[in-house]
Amino acid sequence: MARRPPITNRVKELREAHGNMSQAALGKEIGVTRQTVIAIEQGRYSPSLESAFRISRVFGVGVEDVFGWAGD
Amino acid sequence: MSFHEKSAWVMGAVLLIAAAWYFRTVAAASAALGEVAPPLLPLVVGYIVLIIVLSIIAHILVAVTKPSEADDTLDERDRIIASRAGSFGGVLLGVGVLTGLGGYLFDYDGNKLFHIAFGAMMVAQLGEYAAKIWYYRRGVV
Repeated sequence: MARRPPITNRVKELREAHGNMSQAALGKEIGVTRQTVIAIEQGRYSPSLESAFRISRVFGVGVEDVFGWAGD
Repeated sequence: MSFHEKSAWVMGAVLLIAAAWYFRTVAAASAALGEVAPPLLPLVVGYIVLIIVLSIIAHILVAVTKPSEADDTLDERDRIIASRAGSFGGVLLGVGVLTGLGGYLFDYDGNKLFHIAFGAMMVAQLGEYAAKIWYYRRGVV
């Protein structure tokens, strides 16, 4: 298994809290495919800083509310 | 599975079929001649046409299975994966061509050099698609 990035995220939790927004809808909002949203949620991909900001803006929270450093 | 990952799978399969056809033909011609057969333009053209035809058919079939994702453009993750897989393919191509050139220094067999270099291109492409699939499956960090 590939090394996982030490970055945690609450994308799935926030998406579900945001009217159960679909992965495809979130992907469309931030300009990535549904599969990339899935990869982010599963920790198989760390998004670019731009996408991280886009995700946090979709949910109306700060980047640090969506992403964190494992162990912190 | 994204359209681009499916595309990597089908292109890998198409390349395997075309490479098998090409080298089976070269091996048969070489056996008949008793030496490494010279490169033949019709064979190379046939290889290219076979890849084009099979890849068009395969991509149509992939697109039909999920039309909504058929026009997906490369996103940031796809571009990183394409870049890393391309680098891996480049290394394979370099190693293959250097192997062919090294062999030529010993036996001066230009026909063999051509086939090794052409084979290296095929292996490099196959390696690139395999690496793409690996990164799509295992994640890219």
